[in-house]
Amino acid sequence: MALKIEDYNTNVRNTWCPGCGNFGIHMALKQALVDLKKTPSDIVLTFDIGCNGNGVDDIEGFRFKGLHGRSIPLAVGAHLANRKMTVISDIGDGGLLHEGVDHLIHAIRSNYDITLLIHNNQNFALTTGQATSTTKEEKPMYAFPDGKAEGSINIGELVLSLNPTFFARGYSGEPQQLADIIKEGIKHKGFSVIEIMQVCPTYTPESNHEWFKERIKETERKATISEAVKCVKDMDIIYTGVIYQNKNLLDYYSRLENRKGKKTELVNEVKNIDIKGILNIFE
Amino acid sequence: MKKRFAVKFTGQSGQGINTLGEILAKGIKNSGYNIFASREYPSIIKGGYAAYQIDFSDEEVLASSKYSHILASLAEEALHKYTPFVNPKGIIVHSLKDFQFSKEESKYIEENKIQVVHIDTKQIALDNKAPEIMANVVLLGYIWKLLDLDIKIIEKLLRKIFAKKNIDMDAEIRCLMAGYNIDKPKDFSIDKSQLKIKRNWNKSKVLTGNDAIGLGAISAGCRTYFGYPMTPSTTILEMLGNTYKETGMLVKQAESEITAAQLVMGSMYMGTRAFTATSGGGFDLMTETLSCAGMTETPFVVVLGQRSGSGTGVPTWTGAGDLNVALGAGHGEFPRCVIATSDVKDSYELIQKAFNIADVYQIPVIVLTEKQNAESMFNISNLSKPLKIERGLRSGKNRYEITESGISPRWIPESAKPTYLVNSDEHSEDGISTEDPQTITEMNEKRMRKLLTLRKELPEPVYYGPKDAETVFIGMGTTKNAVLDAVKETDKKIGYLHYQYIYPLKFEKILEIYEEGSRVILIENNQSGEFGNLVKRECNFEFPEKLLKFDSRPFFVEDILDFLEK
Repeated sequence: MALKIEDYNTNVRNTWCPGCGNFGIHMALKQALVDLKKTPSDIVLTFDIGCNGNGVDDIEGFRFKGLHGRSIPLAVGAHLANRKMTVISDIGDGGLLHEGVDHLIHAIRSNYDITLLIHNNQNFALTTGQATSTTKEEKPMYAFPDGKAEGSINIGELVLSLNPTFFARGYSGEPQQLADIIKEGIKHKGFSVIEIMQVCPTYTPESNHEWFKERIKETERKATISEAVKCVKDMDIIYTGVIYQNKNLLDYYSRLENRKGKKTELVNEVKNIDIKGILNIFE
Repeated sequence: MKKRFAVKFTGQSGQGINTLGEILAKGIKNSGYNIFASREYPSIIKGGYAAYQIDFSDEEVLASSKYSHILASLAEEALHKYTPFVNPKGIIVHSLKDFQFSKEESKYIEENKIQVVHIDTKQIALDNKAPEIMANVVLLGYIWKLLDLDIKIIEKLLRKIFAKKNIDMDAEIRCLMAGYNIDKPKDFSIDKSQLKIKRNWNKSKVLTGNDAIGLGAISAGCRTYFGYPMTPSTTILEMLGNTYKETGMLVKQAESEITAAQLVMGSMYMGTRAFTATSGGGFDLMTETLSCAGMTETPFVVVLGQRSGSGTGVPTWTGAGDLNVALGAGHGEFPRCVIATSDVKDSYELIQKAFNIADVYQIPVIVLTEKQNAESMFNISNLSKPLKIERGLRSGKNRYEITESGISPRWIPESAKPTYLVNSDEHSEDGISTEDPQTITEMNEKRMRKLLTLRKELPEPVYYGPKDAETVFIGMGTTKNAVLDAVKETDKKIGYLHYQYIYPLKFEKILEIYEEGSRVILIENNQSGEFGNLVKRECNFEFPEKLLKFDSRPFFVEDILDFLEK
């Protein structure tokens, strides 16, 4: 039987607000997985805490809803144990840039072969609208009527400063394009960072679909990181698409000398291992 | 001390004390004696004072004596520090020109008839056309002379251990021989006549507790290790990293303990075996993951290598003050297992057991060790056979099915298998988040039932000593080692009840021993008697006597003997 989007649907009632950008993101994700002919049991999804994490109810697959900020290392642990599975890490801008920013930095330099979906709704929504590093400055937010006193982080700029092998940007209101981006990300052998600009009708209603539509513009892959940086810096026009890709760097696992040529995955190797050869060192 | 001797090699950090200490330890072992070696060193790379003490006998040795028969020193601070810990009629040998003992030290030396020998090791090295740095090998040669052992044994070992290093081997051997050829004082001897020499003992093993944990993990089919450096657990990373080609294990230094813990949880969830090791501060960072593993029922194994103190504490010294954090770490209520290791034999076995418990019960397992076990060298003939791997994997309708044992089906996530949701939110049997009060109660009860099931299946504590012991020490970890060594030095009838499985606690044996009328003493390397407090919490038994030590030093054999004399 041919794989259908419905195979990825669950019968659990979803809790997102009407008009939430997450609907578009999941539509795109399911489409991408179906197009890649991946069945739910081929997929491991790790979820963060926040509105993105509440999407765990909405999609089929092996899913692990973990802790705030920790979606990336959890996904990496799963990936290293069994590379036959397609591992996708799902996180919001808050968890990514605040609680777990160190994981992003080290995952980029390690180039693990997983895909990262960043739901950038520009606030901590599930805890009712606190500012994050991507919230517009001066915008009144929870407990801060005059806006945040801290500066902002441009996710694209941060990622591109770390010599990534894949950076893309999509938009929740363009699920077809986003599905194509996610497909490219999954196919990429390395750490694929996909920032998804997202509508949050409840806490950032001024950045609605109309606002995004005026600014979103599709772009082509850039040949160099510096060109890519120029492209993502400009927030008057929000460029989307696969902005940067480098296929020449090996992923982390492929660089492990002692795993080269091994046909099995770590998950297949749990058995008593003879230590006689090693014991001689201790005589 | 009747049947044991101790030699202490001291100097500054950075003077090769560890390398030479290890050669000396293995040399004595290869001469046919049981050894135990412990290291004392500062948390700095160069300077301070460091010591390597080797205790040897013809029986098993598990702990250090406080006093040594030979004190050798290459550095002033170390010599001052350790002079008060030389046995009567012992010998001090040092390489320090114009060294002055303090008044008190001189008095101690005189009163205890200790001999002092100065050797200009640097000059001897230079005279033998060797670089100054080889002065310590001259000292090694002289120690070997004092021990009156076969020079060929130490020469062979030196050649073997230095073979891979880019050094002038002939110069090393010249320095060794130069030291060995110095006459020893006529009236000094280590009287080994009472000690039987063990045959073929050169094939016995010398391992640290951390080596044993690493080897146990390999044996147990653990396929990945995620670490972050922190004394005294760092050498697990070293041991597994340096053997990764032989084992094929994926060994990774993570960016933080938080990451290391998450990587373990992710890998265990996927169905391989993984673990991490840290010390108190790193463990604190892992506690959110511990709690998450508890709620999601993901197997999790962490080695908590104890050093002493809160905060940064005394980073390179020993203690056993982290039982409370092992028992209480992590928010919310969830079942866990706490195991304590004491020496290489049980470290090797218990880490394997930890994986089985984690897998079968789907709970976090915390394996305690102490610097005194982690970094000390123990001598055993061989390791036991690997434990049978038990994983408890089975498929079912619901990942969190409510069962009588509390244990739900768990199957490895892989293609073509039924998918499931693992959820750190409270969830119903199918993993879906819930806020329903009845479901919340049932799921909490289900998880905690695993603790009852586990308690039934855990082994009883191990009793050492005669059935009619007058005095029984009760404790965990390396306190056992000091007591068992002390027992050999006294005619008193002493027992030790050794707890390896700390939690869930099997307390019945304690009550039994107490009711039989023995003098019962709690012994712990911490201030508040944490194990005693656990016993009190679990069965309302209050230890009538406590022997507690919390000066960052392990229990020495003399500590036990002095206590019994009081």
